[in-house]
Amino acid sequence: MDLTFSKEDEDFRSEFRSWLDTNLPAQMRTVDWWRPKSEAEQFQIRRDWEAKKAAAGFCGIQWPTEYGGRGGSPTMKAIYDEEMAKAHAPRTVNPLGLAFLGPTVMAIGTDDQKRDIIKPLLHTETIWCQGFSEPGAGSDLAALQMKAEPQGDSYVLNGQKIWTTNAMHGDKIFTLARTSSPDGGKRHAGISMLLVDMRQPGVEARPLKQMTGESEFGEVFFTDALCPQTEVLGGEGNGWMTAMLLLSFERGSSAIGQYTEFKGQWDAVVDVAKQVDRGSGKAVEDPVLRQKLANSLIELECLKYHSWHVLTQTSQGKDLGFEASMTKIMWSETFRKVSDTYEAVLGTGYQVPDPQPGLSLEELTTMSLWSRSCTIWGGSQQVQRSIVAERVLGLPR
Amino acid sequence: MKFQLTDEQRALQEAVRDYLGDRFGQKQVRELYESPESDGIPEGLWKAIGEQGWLAVMVPEEHDGIGLGLLDAAVIARAFGAGTVPGPWLGTVLVGEAVRLAGSPDQQAKWLPRIASGQVKGAVALLKPGTQDQPVATVSGGSLSGDLGLVEYAAQADVLVVSAADGLYLVDPAAAAITPHEVLDRTTRLASVTLDGAAGEKLTAGNPLAELVDRAAVLVANDLTGIARKALSDTVEYDKTRVQFGKPVGSFQAIKHDLADIHLAVTMAEHAGFYAAHAQDIDAPDKTLAASIAKAKAGDTASAATSAMIQYHGGIGYTWEHDAHFYLKRAKRLEYAFGDATQHRERIASIAL
Ligand SMILES: Cc1cc2nc3c(=O)[nH]c(=O)nc-3n(C[C@H](O)[C@H](O)[C@H](O)COP(=O)(O)OP(=O)(O)OC[C@H]3O[C@@H](n4cnc5c(N)ncnc54)[C@H](O)[C@@H]3O)c2cc1C
Repeated sequence: MDLTFSKEDEDFRSEFRSWLDTNLPAQMRTVDWWRPKSEAEQFQIRRDWEAKKAAAGFCGIQWPTEYGGRGGSPTMKAIYDEEMAKAHAPRTVNPLGLAFLGPTVMAIGTDDQKRDIIKPLLHTETIWCQGFSEPGAGSDLAALQMKAEPQGDSYVLNGQKIWTTNAMHGDKIFTLARTSSPDGGKRHAGISMLLVDMRQPGVEARPLKQMTGESEFGEVFFTDALCPQTEVLGGEGNGWMTAMLLLSFERGSSAIGQYTEFKGQWDAVVDVAKQVDRGSGKAVEDPVLRQKLANSLIELECLKYHSWHVLTQTSQGKDLGFEASMTKIMWSETFRKVSDTYEAVLGTGYQVPDPQPGLSLEELTTMSLWSRSCTIWGGSQQVQRSIVAERVLGLPR
Repeated sequence: MKFQLTDEQRALQEAVRDYLGDRFGQKQVRELYESPESDGIPEGLWKAIGEQGWLAVMVPEEHDGIGLGLLDAAVIARAFGAGTVPGPWLGTVLVGEAVRLAGSPDQQAKWLPRIASGQVKGAVALLKPGTQDQPVATVSGGSLSGDLGLVEYAAQADVLVVSAADGLYLVDPAAAAITPHEVLDRTTRLASVTLDGAAGEKLTAGNPLAELVDRAAVLVANDLTGIARKALSDTVEYDKTRVQFGKPVGSFQAIKHDLADIHLAVTMAEHAGFYAAHAQDIDAPDKTLAASIAKAKAGDTASAATSAMIQYHGGIGYTWEHDAHFYLKRAKRLEYAFGDATQHRERIASIAL
């Protein structure tokens, strides 16, 4: 075992860290600065900041330089994630484009698509949405109904997508539609992945309010919307395979960024527990709460070890395959445990943002609510467990 | 960044597995279950453990050892857990560690070569029953007294290491009152031990009780993850083929999801067990925390996996004839050795809060 990083990797860390020190204003690392701003304003600030970061060369860390990436290693990407989380840097405005679309385009896109998509994505000139889920097609994605009928050089799209992250900010959407009717019982046939301009009259996005009160996702309605036939990714009728390839790109992710973020939250929860009065003393002195705090730390540290494991594998060029589902279950469950602990520490005080003088809980409470979504999106916990059971353990379907 | 075993460590793992596969499998464990009156130390096995160097791993080379670290020992412990291997390996290794950490040069020269070869069998009484850091014996005028609780292989050992407030002592078992018990987990032997003014030879170079207990906890954690992994994989294999309602029971989602969760927990416990051993080896700042994390996670996980093994075998899993109870009983014993999960969580809290 060797848990140190190479000189090259450490040099990259210092370079990025010092860039962050200079270019991420202290105020942007505090909630108080963000809170009074509208969602649209917040998004614009994040978008501009990310563009500046990209211009400085800190984007597409692991992507080849020919596409505007940095050409770095999986370890450098992990270090980047870690430093972003440590610095409390704004989250990316293009999560789905970066996680899914970019790698897919680089793998199977046409030369035009590579040229037109990757750089503007990295530099936040285009905000990409993922339009997979529909009201009747969630975990069962192949139940999707949206239609795309050829007409001249274009497809004409009709249907609805839902839970679309960044729906209100999106410029373009990679979406799945039926370009021909299902062939008999083959639900996976006749689907295509289309790259659709959201800035057109036939596309209407409406916000959906989440339990946090924010509207990070929304619905997208397509009414005779147009998409040029050249804007198919992976070829007409190959949408299901393209989607599976696309979803597989989440696999390399080491979760070190998540660990760093959640560990920061755990530290904040401990801080709260030191202040909260629980009748007989502070919450941090309560034996049952101590057990809970310790238990969430155990899970967090296991997540860290697991990240090292994943990083070790990917650095050696190994594909984690379906084991990636374990990483997803692990980080999202750990996040929920930290949140459960936070709620237990506060008791009734969880209901209000300022249960005691000196406590300001808005950020932590929002995080605890947000953690509820992470076991749903990107393949729900139940779906992931079935994958682990069938594909990793080999249990029969 | 390499969070994985070295090639040598993997070869060691294979060597232990191969030996157990060829020479000491569940058939031999079962023979032991059928002979509770035996000394619990199958002769050929103990001889092989000595010959293969599995007792010598952490003994320095100048004392005829191999001079490796706790991670190497952890690799052996894990394979032993999976094989529910009987015998005083752990006790002997820990006596060796006590002498290595706190023995004078003379004491080391006297004991370590014989520990490395398996010529001497050891047992340890380190913690006052129910505590995580209190020594077991009191010293007065150089002799030791106290109720040491249940001590593994005390009746078979050639030497005991006993903790007292001022350090660790080597005690001749002949000087102790030892009452053997019938034991649920028949892959070990347990005896009540009391000392009443027994002579002891103090290990003179310091008092490494806390460090020794952490090392013990890490080895036990790895034994537990070995048990857990084996319990899980045997259960998966059985449920792939056992048919009810016209399908393999392993196709039912209630079972699948539970086994997926257990697989995840076992995987994390494995990571934690190896990291904790490595952390002791490199004297990492978080080594104490890591030991507690490993032990807590392994205890909870082995408990879950061995329970699931019985549950997901149905009636056959509840029989004496099936191996499932070997794993459950060993897990139950080790779950409470060197601090249980609740105690370790409290210790984690006291370190981290
Ligand atoms: C915050 C957030 C952001 C999102 N962003 C996007 C986005 O940008 N683009 C996009 O396309 N989608 C997005 N989604 C949608 C997400 O992918 C779906 O919510 C998810 O796939 C689950 O589908 P569903 O909501 O229809 O739940 P359902 O599939 O109806 O599931 C309901 C419950 O049934 C369980 N279940 C379903 N099938 C099975 C099964 N076979 N076995 C056992 N249990 C099962 C589920 O686990 C769940 O607990 C987002 C969701 C959230 C919460």
